[in-house]
Amino acid sequence: MQSVTQDWPGTARRALSGSVLLVAGLVMLLICWSYPVGNLTQMGPGYIPRVVGFLICALAVAIIAIDVATPEAAQAGRMHPRGLIFVSTAILLFAGLIDIAGLVPSMFLAVVVSMFADDEARPLPVLVYACLATLGGWLLFLVALELPIPAFWR
Amino acid sequence: MIDQFLLGLSVVLQPEILMYAFIGVFIGQLIGVLPGIGAITAISLLLPVTFYLDATTSMIMLAGIYYGSQYGGSIASILLNLPGTPSSVVTCLEGYPLAQRSRAGLALFVAACSSFVGGIVGVAILVLAAIPMTIIALRFGAPEYAMLVILGLLAASLIGTGSQIRSFAMVLLGIALGLVGADATTGYYRFVAMPEMADGISLVSLAMGLFGVSEIIRNASRRSPPGPALSITMRDVLPTRAEARSLVLPIVRGSGIGSFFGALPGTGAAIASFMAYAMERRFSRTPEKFGKGHLPGLAAPESANNAAAQTGFIPTLTLGIPGDAVMALIIGALILNGIIPGPRLAVDQPELFWGVIASFFVGNIILLLINIPLIKLWVLLLRVPYQKLYPVIIVMICVGVYSHRTSVTDVVLTLAFGVLGYLMKNYRFEPAPVMLGFVLGPLLEDNFRRTMLLYGGDFTIFLTRPISAMLVACSAVLIAFAVWSGVSAMRKPVHSTP
Repeated sequence: MQSVTQDWPGTARRALSGSVLLVAGLVMLLICWSYPVGNLTQMGPGYIPRVVGFLICALAVAIIAIDVATPEAAQAGRMHPRGLIFVSTAILLFAGLIDIAGLVPSMFLAVVVSMFADDEARPLPVLVYACLATLGGWLLFLVALELPIPAFWR
Repeated sequence: MIDQFLLGLSVVLQPEILMYAFIGVFIGQLIGVLPGIGAITAISLLLPVTFYLDATTSMIMLAGIYYGSQYGGSIASILLNLPGTPSSVVTCLEGYPLAQRSRAGLALFVAACSSFVGGIVGVAILVLAAIPMTIIALRFGAPEYAMLVILGLLAASLIGTGSQIRSFAMVLLGIALGLVGADATTGYYRFVAMPEMADGISLVSLAMGLFGVSEIIRNASRRSPPGPALSITMRDVLPTRAEARSLVLPIVRGSGIGSFFGALPGTGAAIASFMAYAMERRFSRTPEKFGKGHLPGLAAPESANNAAAQTGFIPTLTLGIPGDAVMALIIGALILNGIIPGPRLAVDQPELFWGVIASFFVGNIILLLINIPLIKLWVLLLRVPYQKLYPVIIVMICVGVYSHRTSVTDVVLTLAFGVLGYLMKNYRFEPAPVMLGFVLGPLLEDNFRRTMLLYGGDFTIFLTRPISAMLVACSAVLIAFAVWSGVSAMRKPVHSTP
């Protein structure tokens, strides 16, 4: 996992981050192109988005140029695939379950899944810790703060 | 001025408000100690709680978290060489070598005292500047506001660490995110992909995603070094007379530099501490001592970041223009509590305005008092592994975001911003300018459109109004400085920041 992205050769890879920004700017322009623009005195809702979109594109081009020209500075940081996968899954599970299953099961699953983002996590300690954390969460959010979220479905 | 400050003190010294001030600075110091959780995460976690408090109390508590974290940040820097907050990165440079020479107690004591002096100087300047700034700010029209926001955004991207062009691109990205939702003037829906986004992107989602979730993804499997074994006796803590004397001027210089950069819109405590350290090294007669546990190199940035944390409230409170990402969040909290920040604040709600300012004075005293006696507790906290902390933070982020608007979409968006913030940082894009652009963007659009409407699309209006012309001049100086430093950096490439 350590050295996946340590040394990226190739112009295309160096230009990656700038290109993503450029695409974002272009998509923004594409979406806001249909908004009424108005004129400088009477600006419509589309005026500023267009200006911002053009500026983002221009800066993205400049960033691509700089990144391609300075190879040693354009290296990307190390990726954390494990953290990305488990933290994302935990939050998505929470989002998917909160309206269906209630706060307690969502919290429990979010803690369990997110704990596996750490590559040294072991099942039993995770379960014990998740139970404690869920209990703490229930006390904090439902007992102390009295948030209007159901603890369980019904 | 004295009267108003006393009015503020009378507000703060009510037991309930005093309790929330204490809670604020205590939480601030606590999260400052813990590496991987910043003031932004803590403030966004507590945002939903503030809806149950009145505006004054929530402001006092949230502000306390901010400047409290400046105190706490130095503790992890000194003991573990891990900066608890961005502004304590330079504290590591001198603090950790001192701890290795088993002078951790001295380093902590000097850091706490410099922080206190810096904080009090910052509060004093805030008190002195508040009324004049408000008087000036009341004469601000739309052109001045538009120019001031532009100056702030330029300063945020041009001064400081990292690539300037990348920071500026991130400011624009923040402005773009701020455009989502109904247009303030016409009510026209912009970039609304789902009906849930009609009210715009939630500030809480953006902040918790960019700063909370992204850091968890990055640090989840990081092994923190074992907590330091530490026994501090009073004798180790106090500096010798000569050492104490050598610290006076660095603290004064640090407080000055910090107060200046804090008050400037767009720059905050982190930049102030870098500048103070660089300045101290440049003007030192013994520059070779830096990096090996030189006390003046510890004292100057510590006083600078705390001074900046206080004077940062000058633009925030008098103009409604946040200086950095944390201030942007505090402004957001005020707006969510139904208070419009700006020059009318001091006039219409003197209790809130002066109460908050007086709370800084009280808060700094509390911080100094709890810093050294509680050092055992902070050391104990540093032993808590990050693996036990982050699942709890994830749950708090999820519940906080969800309960804010009872919206599942917001939770998913938080994750999206978390991944975005993570990837951005991997490709050397800073997340803080996004936050600033997000909060300031709508303000800029509103005031710019109004200026153009009022003055018939005439750009010379920015130059013919005196305050606005001054702000244009400042922006021009900033850009010239950036171009100059960019050119000289290209001539000899240096990696100056750690």
